[in-house]
Amino acid sequence: MSFFGFDSTLPRDRGHNPSAPGFSQAADPFAGLSRPEDDDDALDFEDTYDGLGDQLDETDDAFNDDTFGGDGPAVTAKKQVGKDFDFFGQTAKVSDAINEEQLRFTRQQPISRVTPTISTFSQPLSKPARSGYERYKEPDYVPDMQVDASLWGVAPKQPASAPVHEAPTGPTGTRKMMSLEEVEATMRAQAKKPTQAPAPTQQPSQLQFSQAPPQQYQQAYAQPTPQQYPVQPSGQSREEPRQANSGQPNQPIQILQRSQAPASQPTLPAGPSQPIQILQNPNRYSGEQQRATPPQHQSHHGHHTRPSGSRNIITHPQQLAGLSEEERNAFLLEDAKRAKRNHKIFLLSKDNGLMTPQDKNFITRIQLQQLVTATGNPNERSTDAGLSEDFYYQVHNQIRGGPRQHPGQPLSNFAQTYLFQTGGRHGGMRRQARGGDNHMQRMEQQVQRAVEAAKNKPKNKQLVIEGSLGKISFSNAKTPKPLLNIKRADSGADTNRPGSAARDRKANMAGVSGNDRKTVLTDIENVYNTLMQMEDHDRHVPPPSNDDIDPELVGRHMDWRDTGLKLNQQLWKQLKVHEPIGATTTHPFIAFLSFSKGKKAIPRVFRHITQEQRTTILTMIVVHLDQLDVIRNAQLLSGETQLNASLREDVDLFSLAVMPSLFQFLSEADLDIVTGVLGLILTINVDVIARSRVGVSMLTMILSRAELIKQGGGSNEQEWDQWVNTYNGFFDTLEPTLPSIFPGTVNTGEDVYVWQFLAAIGIGASPEQQQRLVMAVKDRVMETVTLAKTLPPAMASQRLANVNLFMRSIGLDVDLLQ
Amino acid sequence: MADVDDGASAPVSEPLDLVRLCLDEIVFVKLRGDRELKGRLHAYDSHCNLVLGDVEETVYVVEEDEEEEEVLRTIHKKSEMLFVRGDSVVLISPQAPS
Repeated sequence: MSFFGFDSTLPRDRGHNPSAPGFSQAADPFAGLSRPEDDDDALDFEDTYDGLGDQLDETDDAFNDDTFGGDGPAVTAKKQVGKDFDFFGQTAKVSDAINEEQLRFTRQQPISRVTPTISTFSQPLSKPARSGYERYKEPDYVPDMQVDASLWGVAPKQPASAPVHEAPTGPTGTRKMMSLEEVEATMRAQAKKPTQAPAPTQQPSQLQFSQAPPQQYQQAYAQPTPQQYPVQPSGQSREEPRQANSGQPNQPIQILQRSQAPASQPTLPAGPSQPIQILQNPNRYSGEQQRATPPQHQSHHGHHTRPSGSRNIITHPQQLAGLSEEERNAFLLEDAKRAKRNHKIFLLSKDNGLMTPQDKNFITRIQLQQLVTATGNPNERSTDAGLSEDFYYQVHNQIRGGPRQHPGQPLSNFAQTYLFQTGGRHGGMRRQARGGDNHMQRMEQQVQRAVEAAKNKPKNKQLVIEGSLGKISFSNAKTPKPLLNIKRADSGADTNRPGSAARDRKANMAGVSGNDRKTVLTDIENVYNTLMQMEDHDRHVPPPSNDDIDPELVGRHMDWRDTGLKLNQQLWKQLKVHEPIGATTTHPFIAFLSFSKGKKAIPRVFRHITQEQRTTILTMIVVHLDQLDVIRNAQLLSGETQLNASLREDVDLFSLAVMPSLFQFLSEADLDIVTGVLGLILTINVDVIARSRVGVSMLTMILSRAELIKQGGGSNEQEWDQWVNTYNGFFDTLEPTLPSIFPGTVNTGEDVYVWQFLAAIGIGASPEQQQRLVMAVKDRVMETVTLAKTLPPAMASQRLANVNLFMRSIGLDVDLLQ
Repeated sequence: MADVDDGASAPVSEPLDLVRLCLDEIVFVKLRGDRELKGRLHAYDSHCNLVLGDVEETVYVVEEDEEEEEVLRTIHKKSEMLFVRGDSVVLISPQAPS
């Protein structure tokens, strides 16, 4: 009815409603809705607003605040008010007392609003909105401690006094309250009485604190009767909750804590401002009940316990009054602490019960799924998915050797950690202890199941729809969804297409010539393709078979070997080592090696081919040694001291990539192979070879291997004869070149490898050959020694040491020359 | 093993297969905005994103001098490694090392 927040009803119409409920009456915001029809006139804006100020009778507003509780909404449900108190008439006289009363009421009122959590009654908590802790938010709260001993069957002195005095009840039942006179009279009566007076006050006053929702507290209102409300607990208030409990199982029990209302206060020395009542609020002790129940206070049934069990349990204000000042202070302090703690618990637990166990399970499942997908499944390491997610680690692992010992280890660790963490958290959450174990077990099982499922179920990442161009891919966090994944035809299938046949033929024809740059590049790419397939194939090696023969495993091994063999054949073909020599100007394999990426492929090729194939490659290289770009183009013309940059790069690359592979192979080769290789070199241009760094290194390699075999003494006479013959022929061929094998002038200093080579020759040479050798390089030796004298000591000794490599091999020393 | 012959020669099934042949080779790349690159092709993808090494970049700039005549100026830059976003690539050409 009020448009602008004030009561728009005119005073002359309604006057000051004498029968309006007092401030302590429950404010019924909907009371106005039930007003009779004739009030609807007031809704006319013009009528109610125009000239309103003139019509207002200011004088009658004087007591509005008192009447309506200051800021309370005007309650005008006049028909519902009982006539058993005369509040308004007394207002003027006792306004001070009213204020006092109001103060006291506001302090105590929330107690009646305490929602019975009823953990003691194991009742369903039907009104979670009220936690019972509202009170602690009030600024000047002092805990009231008051026990409703009647609840616990204490002092059943008036067991039969009970249901005699039933207050009128009903959803809109009149809320009675004591008039001020009555209250005062009660107080006076109490003050006269000694403490612990068992006699109930006979005054018919019904002190009820009725600012609570009617539905929730109507039973509560009914409980306190004049006979019962004083200090001594009555049987009836104990009975009442049980009646309600049995009669209305769906309605929460209301425990009225206020049966020992303010009437008892005057018995205490301190005024109303001092907290004297022990709040008996089951809700507050819900967390402590397990450790409560001290036996020594059976008479009070120990519902209310203090942390320090040695002291008396205070359940009555009288008890508290009986205590010494110190004890009381201590008790109040503890109570404050407890209240603080309960408040904290309340704050933490205000969202309790929001999620059902099903909700929790659902969330847990989502989290698990996320975690499993995010970490990936290490058991998939052999699959393409695992490889693509973890390529460098897998390759590194392969090169390093030694696959992971326990593929499942990381994940199970992870799972354990996850479980452990939640377990720890669970341990900290005592409040969830009930039913929490169940939940934990379920979650552990879920983790295990999720892990198992991830292990067993192959990930289906793609969905192929019939007739569509590509696949529909599902995405996760690690591998975002590719929009379209068009299946790429294999090279094998591709060549079967009619259109590509012509191209192939052309390519083949071009390949015959062998000098077509594009063909060579294509060859190299093919080799790399096959190499990658083979490396991938190596990763798919089946687990080693145990003693017990598993047919399936054996079959997989055989398949794996077959595939490996096939790939090897393919690679061998693509290397074109077996192309006829001399058919083209440059052999395809040599052309292959002329590209840096071809050189780089050699170490990888050597890892995947047989010993025989390695021999063939070595033979091929040696036969074409003088055609290799790193030898053919690396001839230093007179006057040149250095090769150009790109050629030097090629030479370095060849030394780093190809030579180690050859060297490793040769270091395991027998003498017949070494002899054969040297014999092959005799058939080609030794002069060119000996004047290039790579060629010299190659020759050094061959000669030193022979020397090692000789020192090892592993070969028979016939082989040795062959070797010596070959060596002699080689020496004869090489001798004319010897003076010019040194690169550049003596000043460049890059001649270590030459001295090494000369040393290799010298060791195997006969005395006569050694003499010829010295004659051939004498000039260079002398030059170097002379130069060394002009150089700083460090460099000089270095140069002399190089020379000494050779000198020592023929039983001389540089020092002899100085 | 009749089919090995077929598998031995690389089918050129798409244009980028030709680019693949240039891997690890010196390539000449023309870019939008009057830029040219010359460098070793380390990697490429289907968008023609390129990774080049030892790159020499040439930028052609037309400037007006005092007489308001347009003068072509070239800027050379060298980079050890360069990522080229594919949308700026106009052409890729193999370039035999000179």
